[in-house]
Amino acid sequence: MRVMKELIRNRGLYSMAIPGLVFLAVFSYIPLAGHLLAFKNFQISRGIWGSEWTGLDNFRFFFSNRDWIQVTVNTLYLNALFIVFELVFALLIALFLNEIRLKWFKRTVQSVVFLPYFISWIVVGYMTFILFNNTDGLINRVLDMAGLQAVDWYQTPWVWPIILTLTRMWKSAGYFSIILLAAIAGISTDYYESARLDGATRFQQMRYITLPLLRPQLIILVLLGVGRIFYGDFGMIYGIIGDNGILFPTTDVIDTYSYRALRQLGDFSMSSAIVFYQSVMGLIAVVSFNALIRRIDKDSRLF
Amino acid sequence: MNRTAALDRSEQSRRNSRLPERLATGAMGLFLIVFALLCLFPFWLIVVNSFASTKSLALNGYALWPNEFTLGSYRFLLQGKQLFTSYGITIAVTAIGTLLGVLVTMLFAYVLAHPKNRYGGILSFMTYVPMVFGSGLVGFYLLVVQWLHLKDSLWALVLPYVMNPFFAFILVSFYRSLPYELNESAKIDGAGEWSIFFRIIRPISTPVIATISLFYALQYWNDWWLSLLFIDNSDKYPLQLLLRQLMSQMQLSSLNHGNVLTLPPAEGVKLATVCLTIGPIIFVYPMVQKYFVKGLTLGSVKG
Repeated sequence: MRVMKELIRNRGLYSMAIPGLVFLAVFSYIPLAGHLLAFKNFQISRGIWGSEWTGLDNFRFFFSNRDWIQVTVNTLYLNALFIVFELVFALLIALFLNEIRLKWFKRTVQSVVFLPYFISWIVVGYMTFILFNNTDGLINRVLDMAGLQAVDWYQTPWVWPIILTLTRMWKSAGYFSIILLAAIAGISTDYYESARLDGATRFQQMRYITLPLLRPQLIILVLLGVGRIFYGDFGMIYGIIGDNGILFPTTDVIDTYSYRALRQLGDFSMSSAIVFYQSVMGLIAVVSFNALIRRIDKDSRLF
Repeated sequence: MNRTAALDRSEQSRRNSRLPERLATGAMGLFLIVFALLCLFPFWLIVVNSFASTKSLALNGYALWPNEFTLGSYRFLLQGKQLFTSYGITIAVTAIGTLLGVLVTMLFAYVLAHPKNRYGGILSFMTYVPMVFGSGLVGFYLLVVQWLHLKDSLWALVLPYVMNPFFAFILVSFYRSLPYELNESAKIDGAGEWSIFFRIIRPISTPVIATISLFYALQYWNDWWLSLLFIDNSDKYPLQLLLRQLMSQMQLSSLNHGNVLTLPPAEGVKLATVCLTIGPIIFVYPMVQKYFVKGLTLGSVKG
């Protein structure tokens, strides 16, 4: 056994990976067994292995009402909104910061816009509430003072994709702009110098040097987002929307739906059918987008 | 004409002529200032209103500057038991989780990055898969509750996050940048891998380990997903879950259309709880911010 020999010869080295492997196995790989429940009628007393097989019944149930279409559509379009607006906005911030020559100004702005990244979605949810709640939210008060009709935000589903996207941009602009600024800092100054020699304006330098050279970084960020497009941001959605059923038509995603099926209805089989569906779709998404990107730009692929 | 002279001249023309460009830079600066203020604004609202009196909150809602100040909410909170309990839980979970997480991840990442590791490819792949493929909520829930019996145990808040692939990869890209000769020379002295790691590698990686520790600490401090799933006993609520419970009551109250005077009197208490939850983060933020930036910069190097 060559493998065994190698493992024994360098046992000191390989043994250092054991704790990490154990945690990885227990918390990332063993739970995969839960997917079996999607095909079973789970009873706690009989456990995963003991419960009887029911074939595709759970899926028939899940697909029989129209909820699955709604949560799938919501998950996809909310994530698409997030990826696009988040990155475009962060890119703007990074490009603008890069143009600023005043060191202290740049540093201060960077610290301030990074701050929202550090608070939990629960706190962000509270901030949203302070701004938007129906009776004494700041926005309704301002509308009121301006003589305009107050809006029942928490009962108006269609505005929430917009509010969620804005919140997302607010929270992650600092984070992504730092990643992008690091990439900009890695661009050789020679390009800019020779561009200046040729009389390029700052805007032209941005357009023809910075942007094209940021492309790989941007593609990776988009890909990481697209790879997880079937995974709703549970923390965000549940932190801001909570159990407010009125807003579900536009904000309920697969993750919040399966969470409620599990924790509020206690329906393990149903929940695992949803989660299984999500994992399969997620896998298809990441593999196909990776294949696509391999064709467009070989170096940017994930694997 | 030599290069520097040309540069000087172009530099000069840049200073003299390009008025539109300077206007553009000014506009960018303005944009950044406005966004930075928007980033601070919700924080301001929460902090300043946590000192508002109940009467002031009832009459004016969340104001930019309350009419009447009081320490009442804080006094109320500090008299009760729940806040101290939750603080204790959050601190304990954060401390233990960070310690364990850093230890496990740094050893694991070291093996991943080691040039003599023949199985680096498969190990990286195994670490990477959980980042894109969900193992499923149901399996995870059953694992923790049914197999590990961690329902209402603080370990349920610690263990699942110990091995974080993203942080591991940040460390890997750092270890890869170290010269391998360091190990070689120690090896000649007869040191084993474990002692090489703890005597040589760990001391020189202190800055990056500080960064990773902060990432872990932030993750544990802000998490409420695990406690939402696994903690039902309010004696074991971490701060974030406490906030979440306060909020879910609040959202119900947002739905009734009373006049402003029906504002729940506990509003100030909620605001004060938020302040005390994010307080430590805001407090250490100016000091630790640069480590996060460093971590993100390292992580963005693909490899």
